[in-house]
Amino acid sequence: MKKRVAKLMALSMAAAMTASLAACGGGDSGSGDGGSSSGGDSGSASGGDKEIVYWNIGTESPDKDVITKAVEKFNSETESGYTVTSVPTQNDTYKEKLVVAMSSGECPDMYSCWSGGPMYEYIDSGFGQPIDDLFNASEIKDKLMESAVSQATYNDHVYAVPYQNISMSGIFYNKEMFDKYKLKEPETLADLENICDTLKKNDITPFALANSSKWTGSMYYMNLAARYGGLEPFQKAVAGEGKFTDDCFIKAGEKVQEWVEAGYFPDGVNSLSEDDGQAKQLMYQETAGMLLCGSWYTGTFATDSAEFYEKIGWFPFPAIEESDADPSIMIGTVGDQFIVFNCEGEKLEAAFECAEKHLDEEVIDFEVENGKIPPVQGIESKLTDSITKEVVEAANNASEIQLWYDQYLPPAVATAHLDGLQEVFGLTKTPQEAQEAMQKAMDDYLANKAE
Amino acid sequence: MDQYKKNKQKSIICWVFAFALAIFYLIVSFMPFIFMVLNSFKEKFEMLTKGVFNLPDSLNFANYTEVLTGGFSKYFMNSVIVLTISLLLLLFIAACASYPLARFKFKLANPIYAGIVACMSIPVHITLIPVFKMSRATGLYDSIWALIGPYIAFAVPISVFILTSFMKEIPREIEESAEIDGCGKIQMFFSVILPLAKPGLATLAIYNGVNMWNEFSFAYTLTQSSENRTLPLAIWEFQGQYSMNTPMIMAVLTLTLLPMIVMFIIFQDKLVKGMTAGAVKG
Amino acid sequence: MGGKEISLEKLRQRDTRRVAALFLAPVAILMAIYVIYPIIDTFITSTYQWNGISAGKKFIGIGNWKTLLADSSFWIAFRNNLVIMVLSICIQIPIGLALATFLDFGGKKLTVFKVIWFIPLLMSSVAIGFLFTYALATNGGLVSTISGWFGGGNVDLLGNPKTALLTVIMVICWQFTPFYMVYFMAAFTNIPYDVFEAARIDGATRGQYFWKIAFPLLVPSMKSAAILSMVGSLKYFDLIYVMTGGGPGTSTELMATYMYKQSFSTFNMGYGSAVAGGMFILISMVSLITMKLLNGKEEA
Repeated sequence: MKKRVAKLMALSMAAAMTASLAACGGGDSGSGDGGSSSGGDSGSASGGDKEIVYWNIGTESPDKDVITKAVEKFNSETESGYTVTSVPTQNDTYKEKLVVAMSSGECPDMYSCWSGGPMYEYIDSGFGQPIDDLFNASEIKDKLMESAVSQATYNDHVYAVPYQNISMSGIFYNKEMFDKYKLKEPETLADLENICDTLKKNDITPFALANSSKWTGSMYYMNLAARYGGLEPFQKAVAGEGKFTDDCFIKAGEKVQEWVEAGYFPDGVNSLSEDDGQAKQLMYQETAGMLLCGSWYTGTFATDSAEFYEKIGWFPFPAIEESDADPSIMIGTVGDQFIVFNCEGEKLEAAFECAEKHLDEEVIDFEVENGKIPPVQGIESKLTDSITKEVVEAANNASEIQLWYDQYLPPAVATAHLDGLQEVFGLTKTPQEAQEAMQKAMDDYLANKAE
Repeated sequence: MDQYKKNKQKSIICWVFAFALAIFYLIVSFMPFIFMVLNSFKEKFEMLTKGVFNLPDSLNFANYTEVLTGGFSKYFMNSVIVLTISLLLLLFIAACASYPLARFKFKLANPIYAGIVACMSIPVHITLIPVFKMSRATGLYDSIWALIGPYIAFAVPISVFILTSFMKEIPREIEESAEIDGCGKIQMFFSVILPLAKPGLATLAIYNGVNMWNEFSFAYTLTQSSENRTLPLAIWEFQGQYSMNTPMIMAVLTLTLLPMIVMFIIFQDKLVKGMTAGAVKG
Repeated sequence: MGGKEISLEKLRQRDTRRVAALFLAPVAILMAIYVIYPIIDTFITSTYQWNGISAGKKFIGIGNWKTLLADSSFWIAFRNNLVIMVLSICIQIPIGLALATFLDFGGKKLTVFKVIWFIPLLMSSVAIGFLFTYALATNGGLVSTISGWFGGGNVDLLGNPKTALLTVIMVICWQFTPFYMVYFMAAFTNIPYDVFEAARIDGATRGQYFWKIAFPLLVPSMKSAAILSMVGSLKYFDLIYVMTGGGPGTSTELMATYMYKQSFSTFNMGYGSAVAGGMFILISMVSLITMKLLNGKEEA
């Protein structure tokens, strides 16, 4: 009797198992017809016949409107017979959604992402098509900035179409405050430290930094490291020819700790959250004088309060006198979203056409109006905002532009970098320890890759 | 008489003390909610300059109007549908499973019970990929129906665990007397055990209801078009790549929370009362 | 006569099993599809070196598991989970019980308390994370302000690796205590009213009633609550992810956040699956052994 119950149980379980397993192997059965504007069946590489599924992170205005504009333009003007369906997903969950879909082999036909480590991973795994031919034949080839194209290039092939935003890291400051204390934009690191000391004496926190998000502190570190040693040590370390324990990295870490001890950052810097707005809050309350971050902050300030934005000035990270590194080097990204393609033939052509629409004059004008800097040549002539003009100028004059470490590095190394650096800020790790951990992650990565 | 007085005095002191603590805890529980509501009336810049814990300048309903004129009602309906179906099915299935585990004597009872406890230990994120594959394969992907399966399944282990422990507490005598009246096992479940398990079921309804209502991971992996999203995704419209509009999000979250308070009041009151009456009769 | 009785007994047993199978079938099917299949899938994936998205993966046998056993980050995460577990049980269950007792004694007039006390469980982690991040801010936060009244300086709770975990645990306890309150309220209703009546007639005070009569009757519920809290704490994810992201450094990393990062952020799905598998084994073991210990005592 007992056997029988057991058998029954086993049977029902087995039935369910096979059902589910079979279901998983079964591939697409395709649900909706995708006729509506935000179609039903999508996400799969084979998708609907004439439907191109486009994943992106445009959930909030103005990003949402930029993408909608481009997609609508394509849908109404195209002669390819294809329709693009945009699927926006919020940034924080977007990467995970992509991984889930890709691991089931159901990558969307085109998707927008950051360039750097994760993008290379997608391409290496077969979810990106080279678009050299289409790109070379297209007018966007001459339109886009070279540095933007180079960020879209991997293993000598162009894989993506950059759009949206040039973001250079630099220092935003409160002009009124600088006037009040008779401060000038600094030329050297020593000048910057003098400014900090003056602000500090007047009970103002020099830098508004919220480092619970980790990448925010990395902004300071990357700039310091680049000013101490240029980009060569970094590039060598990534290639496995150098080490992340190079002098410039250690010096940058030590400088960070020196600044922490001097009180240049807010109290409890590692507990403040960038996402919750705790850095910009210090700027708005005028208890902090400067903020080092990506130039997208122009848009943030302007949408929060146009009035406050009037008070804001900007300068690139100053040079270090005793270092011979090129001070024109910028840390940032030339375009903060790149469209990658996962389809072939006619569909790829159509998808590429839709990507081109993101760089259409009309769309570019709209972006500029909303404080964005599309990565196209001659954009400075369109800009009216003085800060964004300065940013573009700095980017154009830069001998080299290094992408954010946490985007550029293989994700595991990036995590090691961010975790270690946060502890450097918290004074619970020495720069040496943090860099050794980062180097170890890099070694592991290279060893795995070599296998 | 003296003893009585003393007791009375002691009792009053105890109550006063208990009330003081209770009120303290009331404040601790309530404050964050209050501030959530207060911040939902502010403007973004106002919130950041004047601080999160300040009163809003004015009772400005603009945030609410914007939220309500957006996709909120669609999300709301989706959430209600998913919640109702999942919860009803869950309660029935969990009750069914708990009944034999709590009341029958058979050798497999303990291993099965242990197996269900083990099922509680599964980390939800690791199931995202298999569940995604299944929902693609069954064609349920990007519809609210895709959510029901996982919502029930991942609530089942804990529910069976709780309900079994509740059903075990029901006195044997009640069952025995019904058995003498010729009540079969299945009938016993519906007419005796199920009504007596109401407080347990109410607990489950409340707990799982809240979880399903706020569930996030499956909601965004298994749906993609905006008309199939549930409430927890409604905040997306105010969360950008670099910043978020917190007061707006607080408005969304306040509106999301209110129906749950109403649900709690209804469930809690009705079921606990019904139960006490039943127990007295028994 | 005797023979007939035996077969009757047998018949009854057969009936029991049939009904049991019928009642358990839906759960069995659901578990097979949504829990057992993913678990098997996880264990299979854990034998590969795989970034999670490419079509090709490399079989490395128990390689990931060897790494896991030697991975100090994982064991630190496990230790953090144990801290959460112990504190959750010690804080949530007694407070939950106290609240429920208060409500049980007070009756219907205390509904306002009941509803308000329940609110933390209803709030979304997004809101909780946001508000507590501001309330705990070193400068101008609630705790620092209170410390200021007593002449203390600013307190950095979330940014300090020594206090960050404890601080988040307090918030977690704040959020989940209402669940145990509801749980024990339901348990109270399981105590028949006449037991209470009888105790009152015998002249027992409320205190005596609680300690001598209600408390022993509530012990089984407390045991279950402890198991629930245990499992919940060991696979905890939400507020840690929202409030600290595992930081500062890795001081608040939990098994679940570690697994999540490995699987979804650092393209290490094979290893992430080993972490998930390890988590599953550890949690099941801890909870089953505890259950055995608790119930063993009960029977003795």
